[in-house]
Amino acid sequence: MNALPLAFGAPMLLVGLITLPVIWWLLRMTPPPPQKEVFPPLKILAHVLRQEQTPNRSPWWMTLLRLLIAALVILALAEPVWNPRPVTLSGNGPVAIIVDNGWASAEAWEQRRETAERLIADAARAGAPIYLVGTAERANAQIGPFDAAGARERLQAMEPRPIPVDRKAAFERLAPALAPTPGARIAWLSDGILTGDAEDATKSLEKSGAASLLWYRPDTANLLGLTSVENGADALVVHAIRPMGAGGSRSATVAAFDNKGRRIGEASLAFSPGASVAEARIAAPIELRNDFSSLRIDGASQAAATRLLDDNTKRRRVALLSGAEADVAAAQPLLSPLYYISRALQPYADLIEPRTTDLAQAVPELLDQKPSVLVMADIGKLPQAAEERLADWVSRGGTLIRFAGPKLAGASSDDTLLPVTLRRGERALGGTLTWTAPQPLSAFAASGPFAGLATPKDVTVTRQVLAEPSPDLPEKTWASLADGTPLISGETRDRGRIVLFHVAPDAAWSNLPISGVFVEMLRRIIVLSRAGGGEKGSSAVSLPPYLILAADGSLKPPAPETKPLAVGGDGAPQVSYDNPPGFYGSDDALYALNLLGSKSELAPLIQPSLPFPVSATVYAADESISLRGPLFAAAAMLLALDTLLMLWLGGHLRLPRRKTAALGIMLLAGFFTAAAPFSGGHALAQVAPSAPDDAKPGDQAMISAVSATHLAYIVTGDKAVDDISKAGLEGLTQFLKEKTALEPGEPIGVDPARDELSFYPLIYWPIDANAPMPNETAIARVDAYMQGGGTVLFDTRDELAASAAPGGTTPSGQRLRAILDSMNVPPLEPVPSDHVLSKSFYIMPDFPGRYRGAPLWVEASLNGETRQDRPVRTGDGVSPILITANDLAGAWAIDSRGAPLLPTVPNDPMQRAYALRGGVNIMMYMLTGNYKSDQVHVPALLERLGN
Amino acid sequence: MAALGALAEPALTADALARARQRAALVPDLLVEARRVANTAISGWHGRRRRGIGENFWQFRPYNQGEALSRIDWRRSARDDHTYVRDREWEAAHTVWLWADPSASMRYKSNLGEVSKEWRSLIITLALAELLSRGGERIAFPGIADPFSARNGAERLATALSHAKTMPALPDVANVRRFSDIVLVSDFLHPLEEMLALLDRLAQRGAHAHLIEIADPAEEVFPYSGRTEFSDPETGERITAGRAENYAEEYRRLYLARRETLAHHCRRLGWSFTVNRTDRPASEALMRVHMHMSGPGAAA
Repeated sequence: MNALPLAFGAPMLLVGLITLPVIWWLLRMTPPPPQKEVFPPLKILAHVLRQEQTPNRSPWWMTLLRLLIAALVILALAEPVWNPRPVTLSGNGPVAIIVDNGWASAEAWEQRRETAERLIADAARAGAPIYLVGTAERANAQIGPFDAAGARERLQAMEPRPIPVDRKAAFERLAPALAPTPGARIAWLSDGILTGDAEDATKSLEKSGAASLLWYRPDTANLLGLTSVENGADALVVHAIRPMGAGGSRSATVAAFDNKGRRIGEASLAFSPGASVAEARIAAPIELRNDFSSLRIDGASQAAATRLLDDNTKRRRVALLSGAEADVAAAQPLLSPLYYISRALQPYADLIEPRTTDLAQAVPELLDQKPSVLVMADIGKLPQAAEERLADWVSRGGTLIRFAGPKLAGASSDDTLLPVTLRRGERALGGTLTWTAPQPLSAFAASGPFAGLATPKDVTVTRQVLAEPSPDLPEKTWASLADGTPLISGETRDRGRIVLFHVAPDAAWSNLPISGVFVEMLRRIIVLSRAGGGEKGSSAVSLPPYLILAADGSLKPPAPETKPLAVGGDGAPQVSYDNPPGFYGSDDALYALNLLGSKSELAPLIQPSLPFPVSATVYAADESISLRGPLFAAAAMLLALDTLLMLWLGGHLRLPRRKTAALGIMLLAGFFTAAAPFSGGHALAQVAPSAPDDAKPGDQAMISAVSATHLAYIVTGDKAVDDISKAGLEGLTQFLKEKTALEPGEPIGVDPARDELSFYPLIYWPIDANAPMPNETAIARVDAYMQGGGTVLFDTRDELAASAAPGGTTPSGQRLRAILDSMNVPPLEPVPSDHVLSKSFYIMPDFPGRYRGAPLWVEASLNGETRQDRPVRTGDGVSPILITANDLAGAWAIDSRGAPLLPTVPNDPMQRAYALRGGVNIMMYMLTGNYKSDQVHVPALLERLGN
Repeated sequence: MAALGALAEPALTADALARARQRAALVPDLLVEARRVANTAISGWHGRRRRGIGENFWQFRPYNQGEALSRIDWRRSARDDHTYVRDREWEAAHTVWLWADPSASMRYKSNLGEVSKEWRSLIITLALAELLSRGGERIAFPGIADPFSARNGAERLATALSHAKTMPALPDVANVRRFSDIVLVSDFLHPLEEMLALLDRLAQRGAHAHLIEIADPAEEVFPYSGRTEFSDPETGERITAGRAENYAEEYRRLYLARRETLAHHCRRLGWSFTVNRTDRPASEALMRVHMHMSGPGAAA
């Protein structure tokens, strides 16, 4: 455009610069006003000043400063832009923007979006309709035409998806839409990766009648993808690809994560120069490898750089089955045929064994647990049903490992679950009656499953079963003896495998089971097996999405539009818009759908050739910077400087040093004061907000109830009864104050249905048959109170009537029973003579009230042992219930002058005194529990201390 | 920022009454302060240190034949056999002319000084009047008060000042006689030639002059900076300085040169020249002038 990368949005305003000379003239005319000073020795001063021209004009630099301010303001108003971006699309035809928003665009999506935004802005300037197509969008997504605002909205909604692009579908939708308006300009924001349909897709644009194609080609050299994972014998081998044609060596780190996202392994991945594939070996113990849930290339935030691992790479479950009697394994483990197998497999597999020795039950039982491998040690004949089941399991992917043995050697040869046909009987080598020496193993075949294993020199076989010769025998032989007879044969059946060791699993036939190579062989075979064995049927299973890979390669909960994945049908499931890569299935059986297959490769997209001009370009970030803000800021700063200079010239800034210092201190203080809310504010904030007033009605009553110990009684509703209760508790309170250290507060009447009961150690409940029956809530609350450590003193007050009534049940007694019916009442007993209640303060033989004779019932201390040398029964806790009929409150009751309210029966002052003492004992028992009974230890303790 | 200096009173108007009232209002304060200042200087001021006509006791001496009997101090003589005469100290009346510069420039006060120059000059004048009156000297004020002797000389002088009409910028020294002292209290910002001519005139008349220059600190240090417009309180003339601080050095040199010229002139004549800045106490100047008056040269 021009040499300087500077453009103006409103260049006409630059004409304003012409006014600068005028401004200059004006500025010269107005010097800053002088400070006026009276000065008597003016004549002397005049003498001094006479020599110089008195400056009545602004200094030249001040004028320059102001001119600069004016110029800056004019320039800023002209909307200057540094590095203006060129208009990429000119013309008036519709604009179609195709965005490859597949996985390969994820890393540089911002770039794509900015480019698209720029294109939209260009189109908006020309007022052209805009088509916006994403190649990884749903097939029925809207493509336009949009206006600029609509297109921007669509663009904001568009995001990279972890799926391959479907260019053909997108282009074919676009072409007809563009056809009616020829002259469209197409911009293809490609991801640079070739897809199979790219050529077809671009061809479909021929029909669109477009005028031009602007083809954006990104730098794809950094794209990396993980194509496959092999759980090798000692390491997890990860295969990675990069775009073909990428030169130079490249290294990256592949990290393994468990299902909680913890990084539990890593390995480096190195592409040699020119190579597009590389592999990384994550060497880790198999236990750790089984925990790998996903692999990710560090620093690559796109879906192809993450590979999800499912059970196919996991640790196998191995079922062990032997024909030996069950007690052999337990009694003589070393003789068990499975001993060496289980020792060999223990570190690498989960071993399961049947609970029964009945093969008809054991085989289904084992297969129900979905093992990957079934090891059968020396089993000659299986029940028919079990054999069928086993065959079915093998054909669906199970791996069956069989070991020879006497039973197999003696079994009939119609066993179908063998890889080779066996001759009946076994062959003995090196025995007394044989000429041949025990045979060592020959080298393992280079292409077989045991390829690479070192040939053991010390393994010899003395006995084996022999296979009938057949044309495919060499093919089925995985390992053989030095004389060529097969030692291990294997066969693939459908999706499963059958492997036969021609020796016994114990050391009887050979020393192979006790050699190290045996372990390696078993591991190789198990690695070959399929996880879950033959669990999958041929019918398609629909797996719900579990965790879905996001475009940046992280796992996210599935979006609502993600559909269940059909697995097991024809062909492997494909990644699509509906089925993005991720984990499908349920927590215990996940299926990993990965973006790239093992044969995937990344080829660079080639420039399409079309009948209309195609221009290739690269993504470039918008580097245009609006200078408007900085210019205004500069003008404002210069204006501030000018003000300061004016003040200085006017003499207003003439500050003596100490004033300056003081001013500085004030400014600092002001700053810190202003900053205080940010720094110290935290500490202040904890103090400053006044605690919210959380007072509730009734708080005052609660506080007064807990600030002193109160005796409480149940308000029955009968005023006469309640008055006696209150007066009685007042009398007891008075007595307690006089005689003991306990000074209770005023007695409180409580309604069990409403009031909080837990504040009171003892609640006196006079039972009155005439009072209304307490409701369920009230009884439940009292019950809870008793369970929670409170004690209720029930008083039926009917000793006189009870002694008169022959049956013994008075109305009050019946009411008490009715109440207690719905409570958890412990077993009761009359207070025994050695109960702590009778000794807690006074020594009380009985507990009289107004009446004497009725016992006081307490919780039975069933386990309390009675010992002759101990005067008090031991036992923990306090009886939650006390029942009497002696009308204690009546005996305690006093009037306002302290005189007894009711006479005792018989009218004996001592009985009243005993009643009060009984009350004291009850209160002490409530408050101190079994303290008194523990006091009996004191002499012994003192004696011990004395010694 | 306010100006550094200002005139302590509004510019002079022709309203004599108002001015008199203002002065009258000023006088009591002045008198009180003048007395306070004078009290610090009064010791050792009395008399001529020899026998003579006076009111104060000087000595008892034996009676000589021929002296007037009325001079015998009978109280002293009754104590022994001799007859004593009470001598009084000789107190020669001496005329001291006092003059305080009434010009408008004297009303200048900067915020570096404590009082205006006029206030300071009146304080010193009245304090001297008080001191001299107590000492029994005759005091006078050119153009306002002819020589008079009174115990309340300061009050009378103040009264006279408050009733004074417009006074000339320089004192009329026609009445100053030989051996008189004259105290000139002014900022001496008048044209130097006129001032020197006045001093010469006084010298010709045989008077002994004491010059007290009242200076405001702002005038002496020139603390101005920045663009400043200076105005003369007497003529109203204005000068604007672009960067006032640039001229401070030159100005101070000229200002001090003028003072030195005056001081040198006085020294040559054997007179005293005292500078009193308004940020310093008035008693400094008073003590200095007093020292000069009562010193060896003063008696001549």
